[in-house]
Amino acid sequence: MNAAIRIAREEWRQWRRSRLAVAALTIFGVLLIVTSVLTAGDMLDARQDRLHQQAHAEATFLDQPARHPHRMVHYGHYVFRAPAPLAVFDPGVDAVTGQSVFLEGHRQNGAMFADARAQARAGGFGDLSPAALYHLFLPLLLIAIGHAVILREREARTLGPLLSQGVTGRQLYAGKSLALLAMIGLLSVPALIASLSAIPMGEPVSTALGLYAGQLLYLCVWGALIVLVSAIVRSRGVALGLLLLVWFVTALIIPRIGVTAVGTSLPADGKIVSDMRMKEDIRKAGDGHNAADPAFAQLRANMLAEYGVDTVEELPVNFRGVVASTAEARLTDTLNDYAEQRMARERAQSDGLSAFGWLSPYIAVGAASRALAGTDLATHHRFLREAEGVRFDFVQGLNAVHAEQLAYSDDINRSSDPQAERRTRVDPKNWKVLRDFRFTPDTADVRIARAADSLLALTVWLFALIGLGLWAARRMSP
Amino acid sequence: MTIAAPAIVVDDLHVSRAGSPVLHGVSFEVPAGSVYALLGGNGAGKSTTLLTLLGFLQPSGGSARVLEHNVAADTAAVRQSVAYLPEAATLYPHLSAYENLDYFLDLAGAGVDQGAVDATLDRVALQAEARGRRMETYSKGMRQKVAIALALLRDTPVLLLDEPTSGLDPVAIDEFNALVRSLSDEGRTVLMVTHDVYGACQVADRIGLLRRGRMVGTFDAPEGARIDTETVHSAFTGRSAA
Repeated sequence: MNAAIRIAREEWRQWRRSRLAVAALTIFGVLLIVTSVLTAGDMLDARQDRLHQQAHAEATFLDQPARHPHRMVHYGHYVFRAPAPLAVFDPGVDAVTGQSVFLEGHRQNGAMFADARAQARAGGFGDLSPAALYHLFLPLLLIAIGHAVILREREARTLGPLLSQGVTGRQLYAGKSLALLAMIGLLSVPALIASLSAIPMGEPVSTALGLYAGQLLYLCVWGALIVLVSAIVRSRGVALGLLLLVWFVTALIIPRIGVTAVGTSLPADGKIVSDMRMKEDIRKAGDGHNAADPAFAQLRANMLAEYGVDTVEELPVNFRGVVASTAEARLTDTLNDYAEQRMARERAQSDGLSAFGWLSPYIAVGAASRALAGTDLATHHRFLREAEGVRFDFVQGLNAVHAEQLAYSDDINRSSDPQAERRTRVDPKNWKVLRDFRFTPDTADVRIARAADSLLALTVWLFALIGLGLWAARRMSP
Repeated sequence: MTIAAPAIVVDDLHVSRAGSPVLHGVSFEVPAGSVYALLGGNGAGKSTTLLTLLGFLQPSGGSARVLEHNVAADTAAVRQSVAYLPEAATLYPHLSAYENLDYFLDLAGAGVDQGAVDATLDRVALQAEARGRRMETYSKGMRQKVAIALALLRDTPVLLLDEPTSGLDPVAIDEFNALVRSLSDEGRTVLMVTHDVYGACQVADRIGLLRRGRMVGTFDAPEGARIDTETVHSAFTGRSAA
């Protein structure tokens, strides 16, 4: 039998007979299974619930009785972001960004119902997802199990006899690495099951396996680091301390430094400042409820000229509806400009933080995991854009009904004339301007491309550590 | 004693560890089939010499050869022909004697059947009832016996033993010395490093006295007799020249 495989098998026998290793594995295994089951249950419930809510919101809108079309503009509508199938493993930004948007005329509302905000109010902490367990806590388990993988041989004085049997340093290093790799393989089985379980829900095989491969790559980085430290450090305490320090710095310190650094170098306007500036620009666009607003004087002149009439009452379309439509278009341009600026800044901040993945594998795997799972910030931005598309289309659809089906005279007299008011109520079949909305994650190609940089960072980490390991293996002696 | 061709030749060997010179031009030869004791106090360079012979340390000067193989250039061949018993060898405490031997012999590529294993364990006098027990329950002497059995089962022409009797009780030391003599009688070469003057004189055909990285004396056993303990002790303690 190959020496490396024999050494790996022996390491496994040692782990099986070690109460500490068995206890640590059992505790982590139970935690992982419970977390996976609970997160999967939560996400599946959330998916089912949001899809149901979406259908209910659409049915409610369509069931509205005959009304003035502008009342329906303000009646509004909800869109929901159903979690991606792979959110069962990594819910990503779902808990902090909100999952639904209320769509109405003249406004772009933010996403609502962020779980983390609700939990913060209750004084609790965020949910422990399988991704968090894998990224944050599994390295600790690997450190506990593997930090002495080579050191033990040195301390027990078995390194000399081992090497003097003709086993080379590289064979020993490979055997110990293989043992830890097999342990990583075993520990990543729940991640594989979670990834594969998303496929029947419509997840592409490539992203499902890509997500699993990303976790495997990250854990291999830790495995390579642990074996390296175990080979070059002479004391168990120093090895344990050093590995815990690396974990502390890469998983806790660098991410906070990264957030502070990108927040300082790429500051975002506060909501109040941003809203004040936006409202000022919106006022310049004119009040769509007031056809006499000077902002629409040019529109009025152009339409009178186009139709060759002297008054808006003579126009073949309802001028108030045209004003509402024009105002909505101008307002939406302004809102979109601000929204795009805000999202561009958030994207730059997110990209800046992801760049810290070259310093911290924890950041790299987090970014890759969210991108592949379709639960990252870019996916949330797309949800906001698609929601805005739905909002604009149904509002403008209703404005078109307003312009084409309502007489101007009825429209301006509906407050004083009950007959006119009745005539401004349009048939509910007009509410079908609202289109169905079902949010789906980006295609596999797009998600893999977004994860590529972070996966590359992890690959570079792994190869650098393997290179150092080969160097350490050559120098191995009792 | 008939002087055979040397199995081990150390010539003007210089070795440094962590940047500090440890061996300063050490030279000695171990005739094939003999028992050579490298005697010295703590820090004399005994273990450094053994680790250099196994290729774990690189000489900064001079040379060392085992069965004509240069230890620095042909480490794999040296390790194939040498069995090494480290000081306070514990092997794996979570494994039994059988499991330890199976593992190490497998790594060494030595195909040994169960009968040979039991015969060797009989030879080193390890109780049969203990052989399947985990070695964490063994005494130091029992662990040493398993390590010696491993060295024997490798069936190599050369054995390197580092403080092999350290911590053993007098009965176990006597048993060990008898075993080493029998190995020599079988034609195997034994190089042992020790600070036990009495034990070295009991078992060695030749003793080299190492002090602060330098060979300061050599003592040969007269034909049909053992080396005189008093003479070596005096040289070791520095009360008279060897």
